[in-house]
Amino acid sequence: MSQVNRLAKGGRIDRSQALSFTFNGQTYQGFAGDSLAAALLANGVDIVGRSFKYSRPRGIVAAGAEEPNAVLQIGSSEAAQIPNVRATQQALYSGLVASSTNGWPSVNTDLMGILGKVGGGMMPPGFYYKTFMYPQNLWMTYEKYIRKAAGLGRSPTEVDPDIYDQMNQHCDVLIVGAGPAGLAAALAAGRSGARVILADEQEEFGGSLLDTRETLDGKPAADWVAQAIAELKTLPEVTLLPRATVNGYHDHNFLTIHQRLTDHLGEVAPMGQARQRMHRVRAKRVVLASGAHERPLVYANNDVPGNMLAGAVSTYVRRYGVAPGQELVLSTNNDYAYRVLLDWLDAGRKVVAVADARSNPRGAWVEEARARGVRILTGSAVVEARGSKRVTGARICAIDVKAHKVTSPGEVLDCDLIVSSGGYSPVVHLASHLGGRPEWREDILGFVPGPGNGIQQRIDAGAVNGVFALGDVLANGFEAGAKAAAEAGYKAVSGSLPQAEARQEEPMLALFQVPHDKPTARAPKQFVDLQNDVTAAGIELATREGFESVEHVKRYTALGFGTDQGKLGNINGLAIAARSMGISIVQMGTTMFRPNYTPVTFGAVAGRHCGELFDAKRYTAMQAWHLKNGAEFEDVGQWKRPWYFPKNGEDLHAAVARECLAVRNSVGILDASTLGKIDIQGPDAREFLNRVYTNAWTKLDVGKARYGLMCKEDGMVFDDGVTACLADNHFVMTTTTGGAARVMEWLEIYHQTEWPELKVYFTSVTDHWATMTLSGPNSRKLLAKVTDIDLDKDAFPFMSWKEGLVGGVPARVFRISFTGELSYEVNVQADYALGVWEQIIEAGKEFDLTPYGTETMHVLRAEKGFIIVGQDTDASVTPDDLNMGWCVGRTKPFSWIGKRGMNRDDCLREDRKQLVGLKPVNPNQVLPEGAQLVFDPKQSIPMQMVGHVTSSYMSAAMGYSFAMAVVKGGLKRMGERVFAPLADGSLIEAEICSSVFYDPKGDRQNV
Amino acid sequence: MSNVNVYQQRPADIAGQSPLHHAGLHELVGKGRKNAGITLREKKLRGHLVIRGDAKDAGFSGGVHKALGLELPVALTLVADGDTSLQWLGPDEWLLIVPGGSEFEVERKLRTALDGQHFSVVNVSGGQTLLELSGPKVRELLMKSSSYDVHPSNFPVGKAVGTVFAKSQLVIRHTGEETWELVIRRSFSDYFWLWLQDASAEYGLAVEA
Repeated sequence: MSQVNRLAKGGRIDRSQALSFTFNGQTYQGFAGDSLAAALLANGVDIVGRSFKYSRPRGIVAAGAEEPNAVLQIGSSEAAQIPNVRATQQALYSGLVASSTNGWPSVNTDLMGILGKVGGGMMPPGFYYKTFMYPQNLWMTYEKYIRKAAGLGRSPTEVDPDIYDQMNQHCDVLIVGAGPAGLAAALAAGRSGARVILADEQEEFGGSLLDTRETLDGKPAADWVAQAIAELKTLPEVTLLPRATVNGYHDHNFLTIHQRLTDHLGEVAPMGQARQRMHRVRAKRVVLASGAHERPLVYANNDVPGNMLAGAVSTYVRRYGVAPGQELVLSTNNDYAYRVLLDWLDAGRKVVAVADARSNPRGAWVEEARARGVRILTGSAVVEARGSKRVTGARICAIDVKAHKVTSPGEVLDCDLIVSSGGYSPVVHLASHLGGRPEWREDILGFVPGPGNGIQQRIDAGAVNGVFALGDVLANGFEAGAKAAAEAGYKAVSGSLPQAEARQEEPMLALFQVPHDKPTARAPKQFVDLQNDVTAAGIELATREGFESVEHVKRYTALGFGTDQGKLGNINGLAIAARSMGISIVQMGTTMFRPNYTPVTFGAVAGRHCGELFDAKRYTAMQAWHLKNGAEFEDVGQWKRPWYFPKNGEDLHAAVARECLAVRNSVGILDASTLGKIDIQGPDAREFLNRVYTNAWTKLDVGKARYGLMCKEDGMVFDDGVTACLADNHFVMTTTTGGAARVMEWLEIYHQTEWPELKVYFTSVTDHWATMTLSGPNSRKLLAKVTDIDLDKDAFPFMSWKEGLVGGVPARVFRISFTGELSYEVNVQADYALGVWEQIIEAGKEFDLTPYGTETMHVLRAEKGFIIVGQDTDASVTPDDLNMGWCVGRTKPFSWIGKRGMNRDDCLREDRKQLVGLKPVNPNQVLPEGAQLVFDPKQSIPMQMVGHVTSSYMSAAMGYSFAMAVVKGGLKRMGERVFAPLADGSLIEAEICSSVFYDPKGDRQNV
Repeated sequence: MSNVNVYQQRPADIAGQSPLHHAGLHELVGKGRKNAGITLREKKLRGHLVIRGDAKDAGFSGGVHKALGLELPVALTLVADGDTSLQWLGPDEWLLIVPGGSEFEVERKLRTALDGQHFSVVNVSGGQTLLELSGPKVRELLMKSSSYDVHPSNFPVGKAVGTVFAKSQLVIRHTGEETWELVIRRSFSDYFWLWLQDASAEYGLAVEA
């Protein structure tokens, strides 16, 4: 239970607040302020998981987002499971439960490890690539194996109890990263009055300043951080987002930030708080101050726990008061890495030696270490780590970097910690999300972001820009912030910056893969990408097999795949591939990065658009009544429409049969409010209708209504409905429920772009009017009880409308019918509709008035052969195909939409698929909708298909099943047979007939 | 007048049910958190008229002014006089909101003043409702709900826009420093009500009659 690696003092942790947590079932203690990784290291936990492919034990390597190994599963309960959490980015909280995602049952004894070592070639490099090339059906098998072995973590199987939400932000300047460059940029931009967002992925702002041994104005750098934050908090237009990772840089300077609001408090958010928030930001300018990742050196066995990044060890010592070992060896090619030696010595630990690849390093940090008695072996490197579950020694040899050779037998030094630093890789990920190619800079041996090319309005600052010395970083950041604000239209405000100590620095030496005395393929494994288990040998193999493009090398080896996105390994990998092919890194180029920079929870992606709020649900004014009366609902677009009203446990079929008979025999009522309604006014309204409908409107009298068909330019039916003439210059058009919005747009587009000279205006009144349809032989008697309108058949004939009171409410009543029965559609202002509906229900009791839903409506209209656009049509059907040529005004003087299209040769073919009725030979068999039809059921497969069923039902009124279908040349095949061969091998035989099954003369609606 | 069909659509003696009638807002009055960050009030059963015409035609703009005493607002703004407001919806389209029950009379006035011109007036009172949101946290609630920039530098008092809101659309009007209005369609009102309750949960929501 003791924290063996915890230093007696130091760090930004609160030692008065001990927190206990468990890892792989074992309980440990840490302190408030620890990251999970810091707490694990404090407790001497060396192994945090097993590797992806070879199942080798792995320990913590880094201290930030670049950590490749400590990718853990968090959560004590099933519902709170979170996969892919980097222990380096997870704040410790009391009761945290974490486990390895790989290497069950125990990370310390792993069966896979034995297999991995013995088998060796189970998953050679190129496995993915080769697998994809082999038959598809094997992939399923491979995938299962890979997933299990890879241990990518698992998603919870229970509902997440937490709330995740989203917020839309707009700013002048978004600053990515609150290290020295980002803070300076925020001060410069913030002081100008610009709207600034400063986002940083860590628990605290400050970045490297939180653990650097450098001073600002002679004081600890963290003091200046506190001062800068205090000032930023006073600026009203500055928004500070800690624990917020800028994860994606999308088109038009749109960036997504994943903020973890309560993840540091516990695995479930406190009551009433959102756990995570996705900020969707539109930024005029972005200051990219994302810093750099230290690059490890590639040497043999560099994955054994106890191999770490030099800077990460400084962070653990200075920020968390944790020294992850006793005796340290450093292998490096640069000056900055020497800081870890000083930090290690300050911590009271032993530095065994430094292997510096350079022949005569004399920089200020080097001299300071030398003055403290550190043994420096120049022209040397750690070529091999010793140990299996923890480093036990380091073999240091003299090397010839140019010849890539080991030049001395070297010596093996005992140690338990090898830290390496091969330079610094600017974090270019965001800059390349939109395709901007990073550019190689030989002076810093790293890729910096390429120009934004106007796609990204971006200014880079600090280490990402190849600027590393602290004083320069601050100045660079301040300048970037001022420039960004100025470009966003703000006047720059000057300000002073704290003084950093000036130090003499010497250039680093290009070293990526450390040579070994054996060839790469025979040397112990030299890991390049720890997360994906990619070795130097694997990369060389890739190039030998002919995969020379950088993108091919990546896919062949999996370098930089997955959640890692090449943070540590990418540049070493490219350099090894380049050397193996004898070309430069510039010639090799780099792979690109895609969002997201680090994994994002699905919760944050979904935000509140889940559960009840998944999508908008639209209701009519009668919804309360429908609910009270037990309606089952059907989705029609976003509308919830009553589907049927089951009584006494009826199923759909029983209820629909009852509802159909009620309408045919007495009277039913339907809520038809969802139909689109468009009010059309203007002296040219009639002419406009002539042009958008296929049929003629010139002679429709005031008081009358007419069915209309609408086509697109290609002559294909796209909507239909009844339009009534309310007055000379006034019409009301109805559309299909789903087509309301697009018909409205269609009218506006044609008016605005083609016929602006027509004096006409359109206004949607869909929601204003509630519509109730009374249908059935008793509908007149029923309506008469609640209206003052004269319903006499001559005074109020079929296809006309009247105005009057219904249930005391002013109404427009249309005598139109979608069932073939005597019908009235009552329209009232929706605010008064429920009362009218209830009065009609009450008045209808004596007629056994039956509420019916969309399913019954569908059956009744199909019995009459009335089409439903979108069900019986599919944008490839002309009016003639529907046998609705009667609805085409071929002699209208002005052309109309669809006229030319439907007269193309192809649309006039006689063997086009045409809408017909089908009567199954077996009257109890209902054809499945969508069933394909053939003329000859005995032909061999593939059969020649001649059409399909569009609508199909059992008719209670007629006592047999029936269907509508499109059949090639069907209108000339009346009485012939078609067959529907079904998936289960059975066959349904049907006779082609007229699509009007019920009351073909239309007597019933015209009484 | 005879060229169009206009009549009193609202019954004189029957109580109407606004789109949020089912939510029982009056029962929620006084039950929210004290010092709630957001206060909601449905300005229900108002008269809503959509006016369309040619803004560049002095006859049209003059006629509207004569009938209403309000100048036609320019793009993305609204003008108000007491409970009457006139809002720009599009280059040739405005939303007029008047006290409930007066819409028929107002429409007749407009039609008289615009007689002989080409225009349209359509009563949409039953199809939409007006929600007023006030309080210090309304802006944050709007930021959660809409991608439109609601910062005062971009959305000053007097501005009104039709925009996306959650997964649907509505009109946002900025009517006072901490006061905003939403014009929502009847059929979407339950969705918006659920959304607003959810989005305001962390700030506290109070309901006023």
